[in-house]
Order: sequence, then C-alpha cells, then structure tokens
Amino acid sequence: MKTHCIYVCRNLLAFLLSLFLLSAAVFYAARLAPGDPLVSYYGDHAEKMTPAERLQAEERLGLHEPIHIQYLCWLRSAARGDFGISYKYKISVLQVIGERLPNTLLLGGVSLLLIFTLALGLGILCTLQEGRWTDRLLCRAGTVLSCIPEFWLSLILILIFSVWLHWLPSSGAYSAGHGGDPLDRAAHLILPLSIVVSGHLWYDAYIIRSRLLTEIRAEYVLLAKAKGLSRKQILLRHCLRNIAPSCLNRMALSVPHILGGTYIVETVFSYPGIGTLTYESARCQDYNLLMVLSLFSGMLVILCSMLAQICSERLDPRLRPAPEPPADVPAPSEQAAGRLKRRMAVKSPKPLPHRR
Amino acid sequence: MAPLLEIHHLSVSFQTPFGELQAVRDVSLTLHSGEVLAIVGESGCGKSVLCRSIMRLLPGNAVIKGGSILADGVDITQYSRQDMERLRGRLFSMVFQDPLAALNPALPVGAQIAEAVRVRLPRARREAVHARVLELMAQTGIEAPGQRCRLYPHQLSGGMRQRIVLAIALASGPKILFADEPTTSLDVTIQAQLLDLLRGLQRSLLAATVLVSHDLGVVARAADRVAVMYAGKIVEIGTADEIFYDPRHPYTWGLLRALPSRARRGERLYSIPGAPPSPLCPPSGDAFACRNEYALQIDYLQMPPMFPVSETHAAATWLLDERAPKITPPAIPGTSPAGEAPVLPPSPQEPPLLDVRQLSCLYRPHRHLRIQALDGLTFQLHQGEILGLVGESGAGKSTAAQCVMGLCRPSAGQIRFQGIDLRDPRACRQNRRLLQTSRQLIFQDASSSLNGRMSVAELITEPLQIHKIRPSKGSLREEAAFLLEEVGLDVSCLDQYPAELSGGMRQRVAIARALSTKPALLVADEPVASLDVSIQAQILHLFQRLQAAHGFSILFIAHDLSAVRYLCDRTGVLHGGRLVELAPTETLFHTPAHPYTRALLSAIPSPDPRRERARPLQAFDRTPPAPEEILTEIAPGHLVLKRREP
Repeated sequence: MKTHCIYVCRNLLAFLLSLFLLSAAVFYAARLAPGDPLVSYYGDHAEKMTPAERLQAEERLGLHEPIHIQYLCWLRSAARGDFGISYKYKISVLQVIGERLPNTLLLGGVSLLLIFTLALGLGILCTLQEGRWTDRLLCRAGTVLSCIPEFWLSLILILIFSVWLHWLPSSGAYSAGHGGDPLDRAAHLILPLSIVVSGHLWYDAYIIRSRLLTEIRAEYVLLAKAKGLSRKQILLRHCLRNIAPSCLNRMALSVPHILGGTYIVETVFSYPGIGTLTYESARCQDYNLLMVLSLFSGMLVILCSMLAQICSERLDPRLRPAPEPPADVPAPSEQAAGRLKRRMAVKSPKPLPHRR
Repeated sequence: MAPLLEIHHLSVSFQTPFGELQAVRDVSLTLHSGEVLAIVGESGCGKSVLCRSIMRLLPGNAVIKGGSILADGVDITQYSRQDMERLRGRLFSMVFQDPLAALNPALPVGAQIAEAVRVRLPRARREAVHARVLELMAQTGIEAPGQRCRLYPHQLSGGMRQRIVLAIALASGPKILFADEPTTSLDVTIQAQLLDLLRGLQRSLLAATVLVSHDLGVVARAADRVAVMYAGKIVEIGTADEIFYDPRHPYTWGLLRALPSRARRGERLYSIPGAPPSPLCPPSGDAFACRNEYALQIDYLQMPPMFPVSETHAAATWLLDERAPKITPPAIPGTSPAGEAPVLPPSPQEPPLLDVRQLSCLYRPHRHLRIQALDGLTFQLHQGEILGLVGESGAGKSTAAQCVMGLCRPSAGQIRFQGIDLRDPRACRQNRRLLQTSRQLIFQDASSSLNGRMSVAELITEPLQIHKIRPSKGSLREEAAFLLEEVGLDVSCLDQYPAELSGGMRQRVAIARALSTKPALLVADEPVASLDVSIQAQILHLFQRLQAAHGFSILFIAHDLSAVRYLCDRTGVLHGGRLVELAPTETLFHTPAHPYTRALLSAIPSPDPRRERARPLQAFDRTPPAPEEILTEIAPGHLVLKRREP
C-alpha cells in the first residue's frame, strides 16, 4: 500500500510541477509576443484612445504591472478557481470554453474510436494477407495518403464535396436554425472527421501490422500451432493479446496528436471547437483564454502519457507483481517478504539459455 | 503391425533469393508403435526441418518437393491447412528447444495447457479442463501444480518450463511426439531428469517419440533406434546398439570419435575435417565424400544407396558394397579412459598470475532483493595453466569471469592479477593499459559478441588500434592475416562479415581477436556451449594448441564436464556461488570427494546405450552449501568444502 502511495504522490508532484512550468512559459511567451491586448477587449475603439485613456484601460485589466507581478496575480486568482474573463467575449473564460468543448470532444472522440477500430481491422487484414496484393496495395496507399498535408487535403475535399458537388457543408458545426438536428451535425462532421482519420489511420495500422507480423514469427506461435489451434485462434487469443499493451500505449500517446490534428482541421473548416478558439485567442492576445486553453492542452498531454505508462506497466504480466509462491518454495523470512515477493517477478535476472 | 508413420522419399526445399535450398533430400523412414526414434546430426543437416515438415510447421517459403508421408496409411502431404490443424495435437505434437521462447509470455502456464486440452474437448466444463491441466502437470513431474498453474513462464525455472511445454504437447493425447532438441538448453542434471521423464511418458501415454538431438549422449540414454542425418539425407539408421557399437558409416565414426567425453587428456581430440556442403548446391555424389578419409572414387560421382547391414540396420556408404576394399574402422576410444597420473599444479613458489581470495559478489537488483552470486570464492591461477570452472546455471561461473575481467564490481574479497590489486581503483588506473591488454574475454555466442557491421579484419585489429599497439607483422592487415592463420582460418575471410561465417568460424575469429594483444590470461566463458559436437572438438583442440604455443593461462568456464576434462589442468566445481571442490582434473573425475561433484559427474550422458540404460539417476541435493562448511585440503592440491572437524 505504501509503495502505491509513494507512486501516486510522486506522479502527482511531477504533474503539478509540469503544469506550473507550462503556465509560466505560456504567460511570458504570450506577453512578449507583439500585438495589443486592448484591441481584443475594446475592438476598434482601442486605436482611437488617448494615452491617458489607454493607461486607465491597462490599469483596469491589470496590464500595467511588470510581467512577474501579473503572473503572481494570475496564479493567486487561478488557485481560487477564478481564471478571469475573456477579453474578446467579455464573459468568464471557463464559460467560453464550456460552450466549445463538446464540439471538439465529439470530433476528437469519434475520430480516435474510428482510427483505432479501422487500424486494428486493417492491421489484421494485412497480416493475414501478408505479401499478397491486398497487403501490398493497402500499404502503398497508406503511405501515400499519410504523406498528404492535412490542410491541403481539407481544401481539396471542400472543393470537391461542397463547392462542386454541393453534397456536404464546408464549415461550421451545424447549419443556422438546425442546432439540435443530429443528422445535420453528422453531415457537418463527415469532412473534418475523414481528414483527421486519414491523417492518423495508416500510421497506426502500419504499427499494428508490423507488431503482429513480429508476433506471428515468435516461437510460441509454433507451439500453439503444434497444439492444434487454428490460425484464427492463434491470431486472436495469442498474438493480439500480446500486442494489446503496446497498442493501448500507442493509443494513449496519440490522443494529443489527434487533438493537435483536430486543431488544424477545425481552423480550416471553421468548426466551433477548442482548436479555433485557441487560434483566435493567440491571434488577438486574449491572454486569459489562451492561458486556460494551453493549460488544458498540456494537462491532456501529460495525462495521456501517464496513462500510456500505466498501460505498459500494468498490462504486461512480466512487470506485474508475482502471486504467492508455491508452498514448496521457501519463502523469505524477512519483514520485507511481502514487498520482496511482489518485486521478485520484476527484477530477478533471467538465466541465460545455453543455446546450441 | 502397420507402422504409425511412413515417410517415402521425402524432399523439402526452401525458396530463397539465392536459389533453392535443399534441406531434406530423399528421406525414407518408418516409425513404429512403441519406439523412440532419435535423429542425430550436425546443425543444418535437416533434422528439425524433417520433423516440422511432417507437422507442416515450416515457414511459407518451404515446399515439399516430392515424396509422401503416410499416417495410418493416408498420405498427409495432400492435406489442406484445415485438415492439418485437425491432425496437430491429436496425431502428433511437438516439444521445442527453448521453452522460454515457446511459451506465450503473457499467459499463465495453466491457461496455455488448458487451451491445448480444449483442442480435444472443445465443450468440456471449466472444472473438468482445470482438473485435466493439474493431472497433466503432475504427470510431467511438476510439484504443487495447483499453485504453479497460475504462474507466468518467466516465473518458472528452465526445467520447469520445459515440463510445461511437454504437458502442452501431451494435452490432447497425441500418438507421436516430436521432441526437437528438448534438453539442449538445460543443465546436465535437469537434462537427465527430463530424459527419464520422456522415456517414462513414452511407455505410459505415447505411441512413439521422435527425439531430435545433436548430442549422442542424450540419444544413448533415451533412444531405441537412431537415424544419423547428414546434408539432408539419412546416412545410417539402426537400433541404438547397432549405431553405437557397430557403426558402419564414416560420418557416424567421426561423430562418435569427436565426443570430448571419449578423449583422454593430452591426446589430440579427433574432429571431422572440413564443413558440411552448402544445401544450395549439394554435390552429385556422396555429400560426405570430401570430408571422408575413407572416400572411394565412386563416392564423388554417384550417390550411394542404403546398403542393408542387418534387418534393422542400413547405411548409405559405398564401403558396404561387396566390391569395395575392406577397411578396418577407426578405433573409437572407450568412454572411461584409464586414470593417468594426476597433473600436479605448478610449483607454488612462483607467485600466481591470478590470485582470487574470498571473492563475494552481491547483486541488489532491488532494495529488498539480494542475490549472492558469489560467496567467498578462492582460487589461484598460475602462469600457463588452464583452470576450469564448472557448475549449473546460476552457480556464479559467469559472475566470477566478469569480476576477473573487471566488468562486475565484487562486494568483498580480493583479486590480484600479476600482483595488481584489481579492487584498488588507483592501481587499476595506473596499470590500465597493462590490465586491458593482458586479460581478454571470449564469450559464448560469437554471433552476438562480434559487431556484425565490422569486417573480420577490423574486428581482429580493433584491440591493437584502441591500445595503439604497433603490429608486429608490419601492417594491421598482415597482423590480422597472421592471427587468422594462427586460429586455422583462411586469409580470404579477412573481408567477410561475421554473418557470412559459420558458428565455429565466428568463434575462431573471437579467439583471434582475443589473441591480438598477446594476453597473459584468456577468460573463456562457455566458448563451446553453442557449437556442434564436431566443431566443439575443433575449438577445444585449438585452445589446447594455442595455449601450448603461446603459454598463456586460460580460465575456462563451462557447464559441459567432458570439455573441461579434455582441456583443463585443474577444475573447480561451483555451486550456489561457492567453490565446493577444486582439484587436478583427473583426480576430480576419478575420486570426486564432494557429494555435489559426484552427482554432477553421474549426470553426464555417455554415448554407451547399455551403460546408460542400466545407470540409475543419482538423487540430486540442490540445497546450497552450509555457511559453516570450509574448504579443506584432503590431498595435495585437492580442496573440498567440508564441515570443520571438531
């Protein structure tokens, strides 16, 4: 139990520290960037201000202090849960994000699910058909498709499906007046979704394919065959099971990537999600909004990599604590016996096999 | 009674980018109910391919070129993949060489056995399957199966893992078991236990067993009939007694003569000259002709047919033709050479080259885990002496080698090399160059210890470049050529890469590399363990010749007692990190004083079927030596771990 506590505490501490460093870096970088934050708050009015009015406005927004004082102030209020107001929308930052977040989660979540189910299917298909034309064709097509830049492909798809064919809408999350219509939402999702999926699908499918191919060449597959298991049983029960930890690990690590991909796609399709919002806030020096969005993205990255680490640590039985040793194995009599048993599995050196 | 399995003129080839690789050529065999058939031969002779082609477990580029395999009278070469899947497990099953690789690391062993049980009983209830799993584990000699079935492969020992693989192979009640080098990766003592188990199971459960091995000793203990394979063909087949006591094929003579256990110390160990032909273009005549000192002219031109010697015995050599000249086969030395005068250790007056005292090494891979790899090891190695260290895996042999080489930091004790204290960092720094050039290490597996991206010439001369030693033969390349000739390799190998060489040649390159700095001490860590019997003989002989020529000392580490017996002046037996006995080699082999040594010696398989079958397995005490026992000298130079006399 104690080791678990230490484990959790250590990870939590690292998490908080990285968030702190991230917030400081973003805070400074945003203020050092050229531009005028007053423009986003007062709009065109900011350009017509007299120097006195300007000073007053800056004082109101707390922008007259040196940067480190501003940061401390921000930290103090952030600790209370008050992240300030958005300069552009003039409402609480969290409220602005709350409105947009579901859209991004929908896009990101559906694409993540699609990417991994399709990748798994394609990976298995290619493994079964290894070396035949299906496999070769899929691999070539995948390489080509994953090399095309997302923004370019988006523009081409918009050109074909919205401008020429008028089948699909080119921007937004829903048409005006059809806010609650699920079919309308789905139609708006198709283009952005296909861009995100096509960008990531092949990479993951290729990884699954190569892992499976390594796995089916392992000697235990030979024994499984000798046992009399069928090809399907071997592939599903043995090989897929053994690559599952690394696949989950890869999946967790790719969440930030997919999200980053959606940021670009959202901007191209003017999809009202977090991506567009981040882009806007950085462009207009909407400091408070930018801070929260960056922290949110950073948190996601850190959480996902922690998840990935846990996946690979806990799913591999070789890294898991060993069960009670059999009765005829003499148990160590020290106080640390319990801990030792758990660690035996991980650390005991493997005997070198004397191969012929 | 109809044979279980009949193979007629089977040929198997692999399609490779370099052409057709003929792995099995025109093999005919019958396997009868109730027998253990052993297939022996050097590596690459097609024995594993033969077994796997019967079970159709070969990779996609393998093709059955011709012939038929009849199981119960039905030709199974025409079977589809699905039909084969139905036969596997039910008709035949297989045990592999490396049990760790053969088991799925991510599943508990019980589940893996259960899967095999369900092949036969797909709709059995969970409890019934579990009960059968426990029964199988008990049958293969696993104690406490109820607890062990929940463990993962990495949590079991090597012998235990091989028993699990055996349980899996037996789970669906096969008639024929193919055992592909089942004991090669195991210690001598476990090997004997497993062979006895295999024989016992054969009597009670199986109809027939095919035992594939390169070790004739293993075969003598377990086999009823023996088939000797060479270059994809069966060259001699007969009962075990016929093959061991009345061999007719020159290749069988060579294999039997090359066994180190048959050689006396000091004699030149016989080794079959040359190397097997490439399976890409096998010769038209007898493939063994060019290595055969009794070859007739016809051997080079025409393939010999199988000449029957008796009803059960046949050999493919023209020597058996009635027109052939009658030759007397070479004398194959007996298994236990008469004792000779023990070689006394060199005079203790001169200081030893290597002086190890009370060396202990403690691994602490984790805060709560201590592994005492070495515990109070004491020995001296004199100039020009060959000292053998033997023991089972985990006895601390390799740790001792690494401590001597300075690759591992001992936790206590003293090592002095040429009077330099290796545990004193200052002395080591001052004599760095001397220490690095005069100690050299040779590893077990030359294919992984030689950098595959460097040519042989670069590999051999790298130590010279590192230490900026001027080559004595002019240029580095000439020095490399000289060293290659020294270890019996052709100069044409200079520009080849390790992957292009055979296992024996790679080990020769490793030895040449070690010799390049003219070391005073060679530490050889299992240098012959991964080689074939005939190649082993060549390498052991090479060690002996080089030692006589250069006069360096060798610390020779092995788990193979017969190799140690052939090569070493003195031998130490390690057990549980402690030295239990140290004596001149012949004394150790003739009058072993410690019970552990006796048990270890009794476990060596000898190529003598009658003696092997009669020999009971000695009970093995695995408890590590008690701490109050100390090394006592019972005869000059003969030290044994004993309880102190009151």
